[in-house]
This record gives sequence, structure tokens and C-alpha cells, in this order.
Amino acid sequence: MIALGTLMTFAASLILPGVLIMTKAKLEGRKGPGLWQPLFDILRSLKKGSVYSTTTSLIFQIAPVVSLASVMVATLFIPFGETSGLLSFEADFVFFAYLLAIGKFLMIIGAMDTGSGFEGMGANREALYSMLVEPAFFILMGSMALLTSSMSFHDFYVGIYASSDLSYLLVIVSIFLLLQIVLVENSRVPVDDPKTHLELTMVHEVMVLDYSGFDMAIINYSTALKLAVYGSLIANFIIPAGESIGIQVIVFLVIQISCAVLIGISESFRARNKMLKNPQWILTLSAISLIVFLAALILTHKITLG
Amino acid sequence: MIFFFIILFAITLIYLAIAERVVRFLTLLIVQGILLAGIAYWHLKEIDIIHLSFILLETLIVKSIGIPLFLNYIRKRNRLNKLNESKVPTFVSILIISAGLVFGFVLSNFLHDAHIETIFFAVAISTVIAGLFFIISHQNVFTHLIGYLVIQNGIFMMSLSVGAEMPMLINNAILLDLFISVLVLGIFINRLGDTFQNLTVDGLSQLKD
Repeated sequence: MIALGTLMTFAASLILPGVLIMTKAKLEGRKGPGLWQPLFDILRSLKKGSVYSTTTSLIFQIAPVVSLASVMVATLFIPFGETSGLLSFEADFVFFAYLLAIGKFLMIIGAMDTGSGFEGMGANREALYSMLVEPAFFILMGSMALLTSSMSFHDFYVGIYASSDLSYLLVIVSIFLLLQIVLVENSRVPVDDPKTHLELTMVHEVMVLDYSGFDMAIINYSTALKLAVYGSLIANFIIPAGESIGIQVIVFLVIQISCAVLIGISESFRARNKMLKNPQWILTLSAISLIVFLAALILTHKITLG
Repeated sequence: MIFFFIILFAITLIYLAIAERVVRFLTLLIVQGILLAGIAYWHLKEIDIIHLSFILLETLIVKSIGIPLFLNYIRKRNRLNKLNESKVPTFVSILIISAGLVFGFVLSNFLHDAHIETIFFAVAISTVIAGLFFIISHQNVFTHLIGYLVIQNGIFMMSLSVGAEMPMLINNAILLDLFISVLVLGIFINRLGDTFQNLTVDGLSQLKD
């Protein structure tokens, strides 16, 4: 039972990329490749070998594996309703964030290892966006810690609704923020466009340009898993406490799929930001997190507002 | 519920800092008007029905519909679509408005007083700061008008912070002030647009007797 959060996240990761591309296809009036096609693509790539440039070193070769490993370990921290994750301790959300950061760091130096200025450009952008979105995540988690007087994911979700009558209002804003953070962390529109082939505007895609076959499959699955991980963080806010496991599982899956559908809808109707506007767009998330933090200070009477 | 509306109102200030298109400015003004109506309703529902109706009409009809419609007319007449003439980079604007929000909350914390409902006061001060910053950071007369309206929204919220009911006379005065200033500035913008074909305040330096 304790592994349910991790298992459900892995299960969701198999279907979310398909839901996302099918949503986009339907909205664009296309038939779409099918719900399982992204998974089949990953399986097909897994059977292939990898080609490495002679200019690359070991870092380039281990980066995708470390990236996937970091996301997989981060999945172990995901709670499910009132059940804690497989790993849960004080300040686990800090460990969680830096686990994901390790994976990203390796991917960034892996891209720079190729010696290509083009990939260096993508790595530079990815590092900047990650750095800018980090305060938003930590201020949000800080607000949760303040509201619940606890320091772990599991306690956040258990204590959030008990902390104050008004905390559900902050939960709504927090879900909105997490949805936006997902877009940045998973390189989606409006920050990045996974479908783009215009070299000068590529971010994540240019960073992984030299990967192929098995490594590319790992990178694609890491992306899907990361999407599911953030979806799980959102779902845990909504999973009804005290209900049977069956209902909680259904609600969890519905929320995960809804997140993917929402991202698909957003990508279909929204233009991508100009490259220069991305930093300010991401900084907006930190500013909104700051408002949530101030509101949490009021709710917990840390500042004496009426 | 008031708490939620106030948080949303504070979030609109952040989005005001990154907005560039005139339509986005107008949308944010409409949202602010609706939120103010919600805040006023939940905060003042104990007062008599005539005063409450007047305040709701003021926020919903004037702030959310009347003024944005008039500004939209000005936008179309002067072919205004995008106003990206801010002297301060947007990135810095977001930081300044965030600092304004923190300042508003810190100041309210210091001024904690039984006669002041400080949650309103905190966001009201931040809104006035945001409006003033908006005016000084932009060169376009149209955005100055938007900044002025944001300040008015802040003043409206500040009036809610000092008591459950704003005296009717003051309320009427603020509304008249708002109405006349928007009308006069609207006509001014139209004249400026006709004369200089753009609405930056630099054009005003060319005026001579």
C-alpha cells in the first residue's frame, strides 16, 4: 500500500504522453497516432543501439541514465492520499527538488560535452529556466510547510485542509502554480515547444540533439515520468481523504489524465512565448508564489493582519 | 471568500506588470472590477440594501463594464494594439511590484490597528504602489490612464479597510472623480492621437503656445 503513489505514478507515465498528443490531434482535426504510440516509439527505440560522437566523453553517455534514475528515485517520494511515499522524511521536498536538479544538471553538462555551440545554447537556456522556476517551487513548498507546520510531502497533503478553513483557497492557487511549473520543467508551450524544428528557438530538443536509439528512449521516458510525477503532486491535493482505495485510484487517474488534457488544450490554443519573454513569464510564477506565501503568513497569524 | 478575492486581486497586479497588449490591460481592469464587486459584497453585505446596491453597481457597471468599454472605443479609434514602450524591463517590473506587495504587507503589519482591516490595507497600498509605478514606467498616455484606474481601485479597497461602510458622499465623490477623469483623459487621448498620430508623452514636449 505504501508503494501505491509510486506505482500509480509509473502507471500514469505510460499513458500521459499518449493522452497529450491525442488531445492535440483531436483539437487540430487530425485522427492522431493513437494513445499508445509514444510508448511504442519508446519501446522501439529501446531495441536500438546508441551512436556516440568521438568528441563526447563518459558524461554524455551516463547523462540520460542518471536523468532517468533521478526521476525514478524522486517518484519514491510521492505519497498517495493519506499514505506516505516509499521514502518520506523531514524536508524530503528539498531532496526531491534537488534529485530532479541532478538529472537536469547531468543533461546540461552532457549537452555541453558534445562541444557543440548549438547544444551549449540549449543547455544555457534550460539552466536559466530551471534556475528561475526553482524559487517558485520552493516558495510554494515553504508556504505549505508554514500552513501545515511540517516538512514532508506526506504531512503537507494530510495537514493542508486541517490547518485552516481557508487553506483550500490557497490549494487552488497552488494547483494553478504547479500546473505552470509542469510546463517549464517539462519544456512545454509556452516556454518551449517539443515539436519545433526552428533551431534558434529550441531549448530542450536542441540539448538532446546528439542522442539516439536507446539513450533517446530513456530521455523520452524520463520526460513522461516527470510529467506524471508533477501530475501526482497535483492529484494529491485533490484525492479525497477517507474514501476507499478504489475511489482514490480512480480520482488519481482522472486528475492525471485531466492535467495532460489541459496541457494539450493549452498547447493547441496558445502561442509560444518569444524567447526573450520566457524569463519574465517564469518569474511571474515566483511572484504569485510569494503572494501565496504572504497569504500563508496571514492564515498562520505569523503576521498580524486582520 | 473575501480572502480568496483579495489574493486574486494581488495576482492581477503581477499580470499587469507583464501585460503588453491593450486588450490584456482592459481584461485585467474588468477582472479587478469584478473582484472588487465580490470583495465589496462579502464585506459589506450587512449594510443597507441601497448603499450595497450602489457600491455593487459602481464596481460592476462602472469599473467592469462602462470604463473598459469606453477605453476599448478609444483603443479602436486610435488603433492601439500593443504598448511595449515601458522604460523599465518587464523582468524588473515584476520584481518591483512583488517588492511593493511585500512592502504593503510589512507596512500593514506595523500599522496593525483595531480600526483598520489590515488585509485590505496591505493589498490596497500595494495596488496604489503598482499603479504609481505603472504610470512612471510607461510613456504612453493610454497606459497612464490604466495606471490611474489601478490607483483608483487601490483607493476603493483602502476605503474598505477603514470601516464596514464608506460614507455615501465620499463614495459619490470618488465615482464622479473617476468618471470625469476617464472622460477627460479619453478625450485628451483622442485629440493627442489626432494631432501626433501616436500617444507617447514625448509628443507633448512639442506643444507650443
